Amino acid sequence: MRMNETEKELVKMVLSGRSEAFEPLVTPYRQPLLAIAYRLTRDLEEAKEVAQETLLRAYKYLGRYDTSRSFRNWLFQIAANEARDRVRKRRREADAVEEAGRESIANRDPDSGRSSREFRSDLENCLSVLSPREREVFVLRDLEELDIKETAGALGISSISVRVHLSSARRKIRDVIVAKYPHLQEGS
Amino acid sequence: MTCAKVKKSLPLLAGNDLPARKARKILTHADRCPACRRELESYRGALARVKAAAGEDRVGDWSDPEWKGLLATITAERIAKRSPAPGFRPRWAVASGLAAVILLAVLTLVFRNSIFRPEGTALAPGPEVISVTMVSQETGLQVVWFLNKNFEWKGDKK
Repeated sequence: MRMNETEKELVKMVLSGRSEAFEPLVTPYRQPLLAIAYRLTRDLEEAKEVAQETLLRAYKYLGRYDTSRSFRNWLFQIAANEARDRVRKRRREADAVEEAGRESIANRDPDSGRSSREFRSDLENCLSVLSPREREVFVLRDLEELDIKETAGALGISSISVRVHLSSARRKIRDVIVAKYPHLQEGS
Repeated sequence: MTCAKVKKSLPLLAGNDLPARKARKILTHADRCPACRRELESYRGALARVKAAAGEDRVGDWSDPEWKGLLATITAERIAKRSPAPGFRPRWAVASGLAAVILLAVLTLVFRNSIFRPEGTALAPGPEVISVTMVSQETGLQVVWFLNKNFEWKGDKK
């Protein structure tokens, strides 16, 4: 999806100092951006932070944006990078906490072990089996319905790499559904 | 096409991500092979269900005042200055760099005998002729190349 003329005009306007043009430029991507951030971070508050940071970066670095590329893909690329950084950071922090709390875990009340994990949606459970890259590819291609080339552009990887990760992601998801959620499979 | 090959491509076929020609080949196979057809259907079903679940699983949104406030905060920031595209180099810089390299090469050739050498020392005389001998291990044939000090070929001897 290439950038349309209206978007080009809006970018020019923002760059020439008319900051009010930024709102019509990004409003069409408000929901998709939040959805991608949410699917990648699995947390609504963090997703909002990712989306905010994405919009802020998009505004600040609009002068570096290449107008021959799709604006949507550029936004999604920023969002995917931001989400990836946050997920990595969160994982490092979680590892540190886990390490620190390993000793106390044995004394915990078994009922308190009921984490939010148990209540996560079936969809989230399906996505949780994917590696971070598979998840990014699957979310962009299958849930946000970008095509292979757009997904590759948004993630800064090759189309071949997208196909490999997508194939693996679909296989894993199919296996999870067949094994754990036969009721989902029946609905097809 | 074998079932093993077909099965590798089924996840991509399920999402219509294969080139038309390859997709036709696999579908032709699936028409005749119940196991592959079942597997393709299972991929399609799983994908459809996940998409439907994603549609039902509504992601929250900013309220309108929140959104307006967010944009106001963002647009209060300054836009970073435009930077040259990666890989872009001004022509004058490329030309100057090239000229400097050529000049350095010429100066090195011209003064190579006078600089980098302590005063009063003469160049050690080098060999006038250099020979290169090649011997075949199978036939014992020897080929000797003679070159002068400028590496100009002077002839060979067998």
